[in-house]
Amino acid sequence: MFPRPIQKASPAAQITYKTLLPISLILWLLPLIAVAIFSVKPAADFTTGNYWGWPSSFEGVTNYTRVFFDSDMPRYLLNSVLITIPTVLGALALSCMTGFALGVYKFRGNFLIFFMFIAGNFVPFQILMVPVRDLTIDLGLYDTKAGLILFHVAFQTGFCTLFMRNFIRALPYELIEAARVEGVSEIKIFWYIVLPIMRPAIAALSVLIFTFIWNDYFWAVVLTQGPGAQPVTAGITSFNAQFGVAYNMLSAGSIVAALPPVLMFFLMQRHFIAGLTLGAVK
Amino acid sequence: MSGVTLNNVIKRYGNVQVVHGIDLQIDDGEFCVFVGPSGCGKSTLLRMVAGLEETTEGQINIGPRDVTHMDPAQRGVAMVFQTYALYPHMTVEQNMGFGLKMNGHPSREIQEKVREASSILKLDDYLDRKPKALSGGQRQRVAIGRAIVRGPEVFLFDEPLSNLDAELRVEMRVEIARLHNEIGATMIYVTHDQVEAMTLADKIVVLRSGRIEQVGAPMDLYRDPDNKFVAGFIGSPAMNFLDGQVAGGAVTVPGLDQTVQMNLTLPANETRVSLGLRPEHLEIIPGETHQVELTEALGGVSYAYLVASTGERLIVEERGDQRSKIGDTVGLQFDPARAMLFDTESEARIR
Repeated sequence: MFPRPIQKASPAAQITYKTLLPISLILWLLPLIAVAIFSVKPAADFTTGNYWGWPSSFEGVTNYTRVFFDSDMPRYLLNSVLITIPTVLGALALSCMTGFALGVYKFRGNFLIFFMFIAGNFVPFQILMVPVRDLTIDLGLYDTKAGLILFHVAFQTGFCTLFMRNFIRALPYELIEAARVEGVSEIKIFWYIVLPIMRPAIAALSVLIFTFIWNDYFWAVVLTQGPGAQPVTAGITSFNAQFGVAYNMLSAGSIVAALPPVLMFFLMQRHFIAGLTLGAVK
Repeated sequence: MSGVTLNNVIKRYGNVQVVHGIDLQIDDGEFCVFVGPSGCGKSTLLRMVAGLEETTEGQINIGPRDVTHMDPAQRGVAMVFQTYALYPHMTVEQNMGFGLKMNGHPSREIQEKVREASSILKLDDYLDRKPKALSGGQRQRVAIGRAIVRGPEVFLFDEPLSNLDAELRVEMRVEIARLHNEIGATMIYVTHDQVEAMTLADKIVVLRSGRIEQVGAPMDLYRDPDNKFVAGFIGSPAMNFLDGQVAGGAVTVPGLDQTVQMNLTLPANETRVSLGLRPEHLEIIPGETHQVELTEALGGVSYAYLVASTGERLIVEERGDQRSKIGDTVGLQFDPARAMLFDTESEARIR
């Protein structure tokens, strides 16, 4: 029943475990390894069909330099930053407020509103693709960063609200009552008491939302085109056209694009895990 | 400083009425304790005085002001919660000064008041600590300090000692009594612990299911309860009750194997009654009527748990060198003037 330490298993089981584990690990990471190897190959390897073999020469430095100086990648990366950060800030600001309202006040329709925030999460967003695109065009927001930010904020606030509301619900209600008896206004209660206590939730959620938004491909492709507004996830596909299909460049670009969320994850691992469990348990 | 008056106060949640028309006068500077079993509405009543629960009907006055529909902040009350409700991200000093700071008092004045409160409560060494780094008793002192700093007209305590261990509870009880003597403000204190009620109160209000059973000074309630509930609730160990029946100008009590002559107007013959006897008013004598089931020796006193032939249980207090042992067969005697009689049906005292 319980996960017993492997040291206590029979020798046969131990050997099987120790051989299978690295194999499954390599299988799991194979696509990543392939991308990493592609990114240091010269373009010639792909024209001669040397896809999986040893690189004929190591062009890592050239490839990565070209990604940064000879393509629109810096532009796309900047777009990603300019889209992700306002989205995180916007979604957090809104959800802190909605979470406070739904978590603290008892009013008619509280649960209905909360339910709608949650229900929104269960709508497969793909079915919204065409209407949302039409809406952005009507609003004049198509192919702008602002449009993408607005729609990301709108879609993320539902999940964030669920998370924040549950976190605030779990706080001792006496804290708010104590402040009320002391004559602290509701807005000051929110700002000086609830927000500081919510810091761990805010940290956890910002890491989570950062990775969600940075890694978003769907809305980036649906709502933007070209280096003016497109984030890096969609931008790397431009290597398809710009250099024929420049697999080596595409791979190098992908690795660069994947680095920020990976770094974020390792630097903020504690918050990330807290983010996954806080809302669930509390 | 001012008293609190409740005038036919009613609380309803939807169709469920939980507080049924409470009338109560708490004088200026009085220490009033609401006591009762859980679910009796004592906390709800306190929260209505604080303004944290709306009052459905009736009127609440603090001093001359009608505060029935005022916000908690405008009522001039300070509340101490069972869970302390300290702001976890603030130091002790910030916790105590927060209310004043939010209401725009100058920081000089805040600092002065916080220092004053912390010296009353001996918190000077902890002013820079966060609540997490304090013990339960210290946290409760901070919570009390937060109340003092604001100089309220009325202090409200909602079971403030229930989260503390037994030893600290006694210590804090003394502290609260001392505090009341020192500042002399009106205090309302909610507890389910009748020992706290007895030791702290000038006036005890015994509540049961949203109604006042009796109001009075602690010893008045102890010596002269109005009904069986108050008699059983006040006093530890609780009063013993034995079933009896009125017969020919006396009360037949099978549990004592006696007919008790009582100096009061007895109801009609055959009326079923309860005879109430406090443990300290019973005395064990040689006899054959009761069996000692268990004894608890606390040192100065022992409590003997007896079983009567009817299966009824009694607790008897014993002092002195001769004390009973488990398994002894004993008799009981008492001064009939000390016994109280209650109607079994209505639970009212028969005087």
